[in-house]
Amino acid sequence: MNASLTTPSMPEEAQKPIMKHNCEHRAECMKIIQAILDDEATEAEKDHFRENMDKCIPCIESYRLEKCIKDSLTLKIEKKPCPQSILDTIIKKINS
Amino acid sequence: MLVAMSETLTTNEYTDDLRYEVFNREFMPHIDSMYNFAFRLTMDEDDANDLVQDTYLKAFRFISSFEQGTNAKAWLFRILKNSFINDYRKKSKEPSKVDYQEVETTYNSEEASDTTYTVDLRADAVQELIGDEVANALNALPVDFRTVIILCDIEGFTYEEMAKILDIPIGTVRSRLHRARNLLKEKLKSYASSMGYDS
Repeated sequence: MNASLTTPSMPEEAQKPIMKHNCEHRAECMKIIQAILDDEATEAEKDHFRENMDKCIPCIESYRLEKCIKDSLTLKIEKKPCPQSILDTIIKKINS
Repeated sequence: MLVAMSETLTTNEYTDDLRYEVFNREFMPHIDSMYNFAFRLTMDEDDANDLVQDTYLKAFRFISSFEQGTNAKAWLFRILKNSFINDYRKKSKEPSKVDYQEVETTYNSEEASDTTYTVDLRADAVQELIGDEVANALNALPVDFRTVIILCDIEGFTYEEMAKILDIPIGTVRSRLHRARNLLKEKLKSYASSMGYDS
């Protein structure tokens, strides 16, 4: 076997980003995470998010939690149809 | 009402036919969202019914101040919110007569904003909660905090639209939403703990 044909693999350690277990910018990061989830982040916030979010465990967990809460609010809460009687009253009143 | 809507009080020429056409085409499709918003604000079915009716009748009466092609849903939500504040809030059955200004001041204080605020709540625990539990947690928030979450997360308004609906700057939308979500996490945490999801 020709060893030169095999792709040299990077050592595992070098590929993994160094994970942070504490976030020193907690309040700021929370604002960015919420802005990202609300689709309201500025370009600078998006850049910051892309560059840093996969390296900080508290931020990854916060992102998951915020997304889960937002999804629960959007999807789980029952939306009631407006009672027909209200519709009827409105239509009757604007036509009178 | 007129004062609150003043910035949109440009006169648009509407014939009688056009008034009905715009009303049916632009306003009526939002009636379910309006009803749900009214119910979550008043927490009372009869009040929600009256609030939706009043809002739609006002919308019809002041239709000449609605500019076609602009966001009808945001326009209607703004009228409903103003009607709620002017007519219903005073008689609201909500037990917590929270001085909103005081709450916001407290939350906006330097001390609060410097705190690295965290609630020990896991996403997995939230996933276990059913819709009613999430709704109860939301309903337990003071109305102004509840409102921003409804507008953003349930109705999908942008910050800019929320600023117009609530007559507050976008920066205040952001900070109020941030604080509302922190309060909501506390409520969700209580529910998750009481259900044993968080143990």
